[in-house]
Amino acid sequence: MDYSLDLGAVTRNFGPLLEGLWVTIQLTLAANVIGLVLGFVIALLVMSRVALIRVPATAFVEFFRCTPAIVQIVWFFYCVPMLFNIYLGSMTMGIVALGLNLAAFNGEAYRAAIQSVPREHRDAAVALGLSPLQSTLHIILPTAFRLAIPVLLTNGIVIFQQSALVAIVAVPDLMYEAKSLATKTYRPIETFTIVALVYFAVSFPISQLVGWLERRRSVAMA
Amino acid sequence: MFDGAKDQTALVRMDGLHKSFGPVRVLQGLDIEMKRGDRVVVIGPSGGGKSTLLRVLMGLENINAGSISFGGQPYISVKDGKTVIDPKVRRSIGMVFQHYTLFPHLSVLQNLILAPCKVNGESASGAKERARALLTRFGLGAKADAYPNQLSGGQKQRVAIARALMLDPKLMLFDEVTSALDPELVAEVEQVMLELAAQDMPMVIVTHDMWFARNIASRVIFCAGGVVVEDGPPEQVLGSPIHERTREFINRVFHIRT
Ligand SMILES: Nc1ncnc2c1ncn2[C@@H]1O[C@H](COP(=O)(O)OP(=O)(O)O)[C@@H](O)[C@H]1O
Ligand SMILES: [Mg+2]
Repeated sequence: MDYSLDLGAVTRNFGPLLEGLWVTIQLTLAANVIGLVLGFVIALLVMSRVALIRVPATAFVEFFRCTPAIVQIVWFFYCVPMLFNIYLGSMTMGIVALGLNLAAFNGEAYRAAIQSVPREHRDAAVALGLSPLQSTLHIILPTAFRLAIPVLLTNGIVIFQQSALVAIVAVPDLMYEAKSLATKTYRPIETFTIVALVYFAVSFPISQLVGWLERRRSVAMA
Repeated sequence: MFDGAKDQTALVRMDGLHKSFGPVRVLQGLDIEMKRGDRVVVIGPSGGGKSTLLRVLMGLENINAGSISFGGQPYISVKDGKTVIDPKVRRSIGMVFQHYTLFPHLSVLQNLILAPCKVNGESASGAKERARALLTRFGLGAKADAYPNQLSGGQKQRVAIARALMLDPKLMLFDEVTSALDPELVAEVEQVMLELAAQDMPMVIVTHDMWFARNIASRVIFCAGGVVVEDGPPEQVLGSPIHERTREFINRVFHIRT
């Protein structure tokens, strides 16, 4: 192989990569805000006893879980403006597409957590005279949130990684800047290796945190 | 409380209780009258409906037929196939479960004051003061700020009892509260219950511990097949039962214990 490594080509051009990383982080944070809030609403809708509410909410969740994220993003960018006459900036489109995807997955995390609150805890709340609303607010939701945190965090970092997909629709995120840098410098190995390491450096500590939370919880539940 | 005449008035009257889970008929016409002075221990084979009986009494289950009155007031009845429960009456009954039910996100103190503050509108400071006194009485004064996962099983169940007592119940229900515990932790929980008994707290207790049953009960009910088979003082039901089924059950349980 006739290719000598030259990391300088990348380090000299770190500015655009950092700007890209900042865009990626903004995408991730904004998508997580949508995912955490809308996901909770979706969980409530999915558990509704009214079929007219439950069925569309379930369809929403299944659509996002059963199609590739890249197809969702492309569909969003090309079809939403044509179908609904809605034109948003590419960044906003990226945030909304990633946020809706995350909301579907977080919705499932919330639902599973709410349903895994032990029946005995609900019974104890009734025995203590709490109304259904008080029991939901003071017992079920706080317990469920704690149970859901590791999954919500994991979904959050998955979205950080998935956000690289919006590069294909010209959002200037980390991946987008990396591609243009690689093209400009003819240094794809150095560029993409460093970019991979950057994604890893952000994701790894959070995934360790998730592992630690889960170990702590299995001790707490014992 | 020294009031023998008052103690003979009915606290709970269960009339013709029927309860099925789908095709499984669990309670099949249960009639039990409990006096204010009674401490009833319910024994019977596993799956015989003891937990269901307590859960019905606590207002946690719908019933198919029958009615319950409490202190002379209608408490639970069935109207047009629907179970009607008076929530005001339900609030005067407390229950402790076999499984641990302390809320894991709340400290011991917060577990105790949640219902008094949220349900009865008591001030947090007043409730905390009562809670600390109760915890101290149960030997748990040092655990007020601990979280449930920092407690032993015996401590969890004692806190659960204290939590129920915070609402000044007129009747306490205990469903096998020691059966999830390591053997060496059973005594400390039973001790607390004996202390309540000494203060004439009306109780319904489900237990497999025949030594404890003999010590705490003023009356023992043997339930099997969804009906009351035998009902009498502990010496009779545990010592020389009249019915063949009771005798067979007592022999089996005592045999396991020795
Ligand atoms: N929620 C439920 N759904 C269906 N069946 C139940 C439920 N709870 C109890 N049962 C059934 O009712 C019967 C009595 O159970 P239970 O009251 O727990 O008995 P015990 O406490 O005497 O062991 C058992 O056959 C049990 O399987
Ligand atoms: Mg039981």
